[in-house]
Amino acid sequence: MTHVLTFLIPTIFLLSFAVAFVRKVRVYDSFTEGVKGAIPLILSIFPYIAAVTMLSKLLEVSGVGNAISMRLAPVFRFFGVPQELSPLLLIKPLSGSGAIAVLSDILEVYGADSYVSRCACVIYGSSETIFYIGAVYFAGLKRKNLTKALLISVVTYLITAVFCCLLCKIL
Amino acid sequence: MNALFFIVFTICTLSLLFFSPENFLPAMLDGASKSATLCVSLIATYAVWMGLMKLWEDSGVARGVSRLIKPVAKRLLKTDDEKALSAVSMNVSVNLLGISGAATPYGIKAAQLLDQTDNAEYSSAMFFVLNATSLQILPSSLVAVRVAMQSANPTDIILPTFLATVFSTVLGVLLTMLAYRKKAVAKKPTSPRFHRKKAKAGGTYTR
Repeated sequence: MTHVLTFLIPTIFLLSFAVAFVRKVRVYDSFTEGVKGAIPLILSIFPYIAAVTMLSKLLEVSGVGNAISMRLAPVFRFFGVPQELSPLLLIKPLSGSGAIAVLSDILEVYGADSYVSRCACVIYGSSETIFYIGAVYFAGLKRKNLTKALLISVVTYLITAVFCCLLCKIL
Repeated sequence: MNALFFIVFTICTLSLLFFSPENFLPAMLDGASKSATLCVSLIATYAVWMGLMKLWEDSGVARGVSRLIKPVAKRLLKTDDEKALSAVSMNVSVNLLGISGAATPYGIKAAQLLDQTDNAEYSSAMFFVLNATSLQILPSSLVAVRVAMQSANPTDIILPTFLATVFSTVLGVLLTMLAYRKKAVAKKPTSPRFHRKKAKAGGTYTR
């Protein structure tokens, strides 16, 4: 199964290029035009990434983050989520970049193919930065009941995390 | 987000001030340099995927994809607004690829347009939950991180991630439908102006 999926990404690229070529798109011009968009996009999110990584470094160095995740670890363990994942679970709804940083820490410490790391990857991949989306997408629009939607998202996120760890045991 | 940032920052800095003030500036600088490294690797990822996306746009594949998604989006969001639906479709299809950064501009546009529709409260909530529960089928940045960390099999998490994503999206949609059930049933065509006036006055908008 995993073998098939390894071929998926190159196949998608190949098909896309073939379709574009057949439809007489100037492939090189078009592709480079798209790549050009990457820099302004990064520039626009860099300040947020920088602020959050600084904050997460402060959390780590001051020991405050550790204290919080120590408190929550038994709760997570009760639901079958390895306690090593507690920092990741806490940061993911807040910041995608912070979560990438925590995720690479986990992969480095426990090895990329360990059970803990695979759980971490699946949790990371199947969730979104809930609060960030709420702040960016719905900035300025004062919808009354978005709090309810926010709550639903957080609950779904936590239940899914438990489901992820189950999945990683089976697959 | 502002309040959260301030609170966490203050607590951490206070605790550092008491125990090890000499660690404060190195921590800040270390965090900043980490973000710079991260951005460089993100530029690489986005360059690859945004190049592909532009190809899709130019060869009409993107339009095809969004035509596929539109009917589903229409049902889920319970709105007929064409412009809002096409922004939603683009946001969803980019999200499916796992390039959430590129999905943001479409997401903001869609949220603004949905806010002006008749059934705004339900549509906005559903759109938010859809985005917040993650939709991606190709976790491209995840595979990139695993390659960088020398995983023996970087793509073996694609299948469980996909299953978990489907699970969370279905769960989120069901919960939203349950939570907003009454409002969705009691939906009546109201003009945007009427709706806004009522919302400001703090009343519900049943006529």
